[in-house]
Amino acid sequence: MKKKILIANRGEIAIRIIRAVQELGNTAVAIYETPDSEALHIRIANEAVWIGDGPRSDYLSIEKVIKAAKEHDVDAIHPGYGFLAENPDFAKACEEAGIIFIGPSSEVIHNLGNKVIARQIMADAGIPMVPGTQNLSPGKDGENEALEFCAQYGYPVMLKATAGGGGRGIREVHSDAQLKEEYPQARSEAKAAFNDDSVYLEKMVINPKHVEVQVMADAEGTTIHLGTRDCSIQRRHQKLVEIAPSMIPDKALLDQICETAVKAAKASNYFNAGTVEFLVDKDKFYFMEINTRVQVEHTVTEMVTGIDIVRTQIKLAFGKKLSFSQDDIQIRGHAIEMRINAEDPQNNFMPEGGKTVTTYRSPGGYGVRLDGFVYQGFTIPEVYDSLLVKLTVHGYSWNETVDRLRRCLRNYIITGPKTTIPFYLNLVEDPDFQKGDFDTSFLETHKHLFEYKEDISEGSKLASLIAEIHHKELNPYAS
Amino acid sequence: MDRIVQGMDIKEVLKTIRAADGYYITNTARDLSQSDFKNRILLHTDLMAAESREKANYFSLEITGGASVHVDILRKQVDPFLKLKLLREKMPHTMFQTLCRGVNLFGYRPYPQNVIRLTVREFAKYVDVWRVFDFMNHIPNMQAVFEEVQKAGKILEPCICFSTGPEHTDEFYVSKVGEILDVTGEDILLCIKNHGGLGTPKRIGELVASIKDKYPDIVIHYHGHNTDGNDIGRITAAVLNGADIVDAADHAFTGYFGPPPILSVIQTLSDYGKTAVGVDADAVIETSEVLRNERQHYEYFESQFKGFLPTVQIHKLPGGAMGSSFEQAVKGEFLDQMPEILHEELPKVQIELGNYWSVTPGSQILWTTAVNNVLGGERYGNCSGDLKNLLLGKYGPFPFYKPADWIYEKAFGPDWKKILEEEGGVEDIEDMDIEKERRTLTDRLGKEPTEQQLVTYLQHPNDAVEFFKFEEKFGKVYTLPPSIFLKRGGFILGEVLKFTDHNGKEHHLEIGPKQKQENGDTSVFLNVNHHQRTYTMAAEQVAGATQAVTLSKEEIEDLGKLGDMRAPFSANVCEVSVEAGQEVAVGDKLVILEAMKMQTPIIATIAGTVDKISVKIGDAMKPGDKLLKIAGADEDE
Repeated sequence: MKKKILIANRGEIAIRIIRAVQELGNTAVAIYETPDSEALHIRIANEAVWIGDGPRSDYLSIEKVIKAAKEHDVDAIHPGYGFLAENPDFAKACEEAGIIFIGPSSEVIHNLGNKVIARQIMADAGIPMVPGTQNLSPGKDGENEALEFCAQYGYPVMLKATAGGGGRGIREVHSDAQLKEEYPQARSEAKAAFNDDSVYLEKMVINPKHVEVQVMADAEGTTIHLGTRDCSIQRRHQKLVEIAPSMIPDKALLDQICETAVKAAKASNYFNAGTVEFLVDKDKFYFMEINTRVQVEHTVTEMVTGIDIVRTQIKLAFGKKLSFSQDDIQIRGHAIEMRINAEDPQNNFMPEGGKTVTTYRSPGGYGVRLDGFVYQGFTIPEVYDSLLVKLTVHGYSWNETVDRLRRCLRNYIITGPKTTIPFYLNLVEDPDFQKGDFDTSFLETHKHLFEYKEDISEGSKLASLIAEIHHKELNPYAS
Repeated sequence: MDRIVQGMDIKEVLKTIRAADGYYITNTARDLSQSDFKNRILLHTDLMAAESREKANYFSLEITGGASVHVDILRKQVDPFLKLKLLREKMPHTMFQTLCRGVNLFGYRPYPQNVIRLTVREFAKYVDVWRVFDFMNHIPNMQAVFEEVQKAGKILEPCICFSTGPEHTDEFYVSKVGEILDVTGEDILLCIKNHGGLGTPKRIGELVASIKDKYPDIVIHYHGHNTDGNDIGRITAAVLNGADIVDAADHAFTGYFGPPPILSVIQTLSDYGKTAVGVDADAVIETSEVLRNERQHYEYFESQFKGFLPTVQIHKLPGGAMGSSFEQAVKGEFLDQMPEILHEELPKVQIELGNYWSVTPGSQILWTTAVNNVLGGERYGNCSGDLKNLLLGKYGPFPFYKPADWIYEKAFGPDWKKILEEEGGVEDIEDMDIEKERRTLTDRLGKEPTEQQLVTYLQHPNDAVEFFKFEEKFGKVYTLPPSIFLKRGGFILGEVLKFTDHNGKEHHLEIGPKQKQENGDTSVFLNVNHHQRTYTMAAEQVAGATQAVTLSKEEIEDLGKLGDMRAPFSANVCEVSVEAGQEVAVGDKLVILEAMKMQTPIIATIAGTVDKISVKIGDAMKPGDKLLKIAGADEDE
């Protein structure tokens, strides 16, 4: 029977999900806030519902999204990533409203979203983790627990707010003296920022690789993995470039990581698609967290496995069993995704929102995939994130993939906002990148990537004057 | 060797000229026609002509100076220094010549010594021959520039401005030459600047002969205009009596108020047995073949008043003022009164105001006064600020006689004698804090300016900033031919434009459709190098629709009395003279506004403390816009 699925998201991921919904013969319902009135996802969807002026507040409103879903009689909601995707209350509200939430249960989301519970589950299952403490006791006792931990594992360590996230509430500590000084500060700061003064310690892994594993689980508990991704190239915990599979040469290590990921998913009663993230420090790896949603970078896994992750998500949500086994999964070749953002890398990745895309010419051809929502003449709303389009390329060998990527970046023409493209053009020329050798310190250790000349060519400047002359019917600057 | 090339020093140049058999020619490309036309010739065109002009072997090419520095940035949107640099690349040997308005440099107001020094130093990197004049022929007004040019090792060419009338005798001019030589020494070229094209061939011949009689070794450069159609006669007389260099222009660009054709000068003088030293006549012809085809693109800017104007001998208005004066007459609807203004009032005013030289900025003063006198109904009933400054001697002493007392009384009221005594005379201008200006410009540009940008800025601050921002946005537009840059009426759908940019890259641009959008914006579609591009043009503000409430003049004055200072007219802020918290008295200067190249100080109308400053340098003001507030002093005090 034809299902109706509401996509509780915007931008490229809304379009990605709408496509899968429509391919399955279902009806896609888009939602939008006023600043997205000209966005592409509402044009592609079968139905579109305006949910408010926003910005962001309405996409984040459980009440409004559920109301729209009920009014349009939808069978299921796909949350995409970000916004409400990992909010257990939203999954719960769906469950209570009798709407299928495409993702794990609210309980799983809740458990994996809480660092302490998640660590406990993983510890019980014997998943390797960065050595760390429980929540430290209040007052002097906590300080002593901390000092004891550091005596055992050595510095540096990270002092983390339990309720923190997204890089917030983390302090690097390098000595006993510093620990004594910062411990009370961290508590009071955590209290002020997150209304919870719990803090804990973790051994700091220096310049690790960020390797993650895509897992899929059906309602019967069959859990498989779709191999690894490496997302080490980041700026301030924001991923820029993701590849599949990881380029770590030690295949046994990668197999071990994948098996551990499946174990971790099973331990948490995982259902639907998820990502188990690890820090890899040479031959050691540590569990970091499980993301209970589709990832931005799911495309690279799709390219190397041939599995449509979003399609599978929907089918699993409607109670279907996994139609492939672990043995069916083959990793073929390499894939690289680059997030083409409307940002100025030379100006600390400052967003370029509010600007109109005056030219948009995208590459195509063999092994090229684009997930975007931008079109020529589109004005980028200032109030959302700056991702314009994800460029994913697939190739038989790593070298071929890099060559394809370079060709695509060179063929890309986006004018209006500044983008990350010139930065990526430098990246594909970097010898370390070409070797597939990178860790999370890559941007700090490769400053030359930021050295390029913004290509606002003389030709396009002069053309804009000609446009003025043509428009005003004389040169307003020479009249 | 009689060829003179760039890089020779003055002694070498003088020696070569004195030894040569014949005369030299300066191509006055900058001064082509004294209408708006000459201010429009794009660098693109000059670059096209550069090769053959170089080959023609002129003494010099006058290509910068006068108003050109200003119109380069204001109209042509080209960096005046880049222009010279690019021309120099194509013309390695020809000397470049400038026209410098003495202490006013290339502007309209006197500049401080340190600005003059900096400006001359930067331009001297490209400019070889420095023609310097003062409209009052007041030598001290030129002295600072003289010194800097000589220090820079460039060729100094002081002018004596020429005019006619009973006072304008050979004795007078010969004594002026003496005054010049006293301050410059003998290593100069002397220019006879006949900007109006006044006098007959006989008169010019006599003048040259008298100067040569007194100073036999002096090298004379004659500059004239063909306003009356008779400059070839004057040039001929000048050369026959000993002038060494004469000014003329490419024939394809001559006619109406400009210099006469170079080729006609050569042909005429050749019959007298005088040779234009080194000049390649074929290259002169070739230049005009190149230029002739370009002239059509400048048609809109040609003077509407065609034909020669022998009446210049009556009104003496130089050609430069002719075009704009007629334009003013059309706009002000007094075209029918032009004969009266030009042929009766103007000659009368000239005599009343001391029969000085009608050249920038003196010519503007004469013209404005004559117009005011005729249109205002009462002669000297409404004296402009510039006329008052002239009467006060701020431009220098009157050369022959002072205007009559009644004119002073009209201008300054019954206390005129006291005012003249207290305020009269040339004022010393204090040095400018150039580093402060550099910081201001850095703030306005958002980056450190180059030395040349700073110099351009010091000449015309607001227009320079506008230009730098323009260049940032639109690139080096000198690469666009006049058929594109000066296009009126838009392009045709499907029209293909080709041009080569500053980096030598060729571009192919196809005009696409224009489409108006719902919000009033227009999308212009262009195919740039085979890629479609969309340019969104913001909707024009509909007059009245979104206009703020405007205050009347009375309201603005009333607010001023309460300490709420507002802009009385549309203008740009060019100086904020006070700081917040500063005590001011009635009459203190608060802000200077600039509109139409004229600066107007805004004066405190009450005493008190400057409270809140709402403007900064460069802001565009509409009438009624807030400038600053003065918190009034306590009334009990």
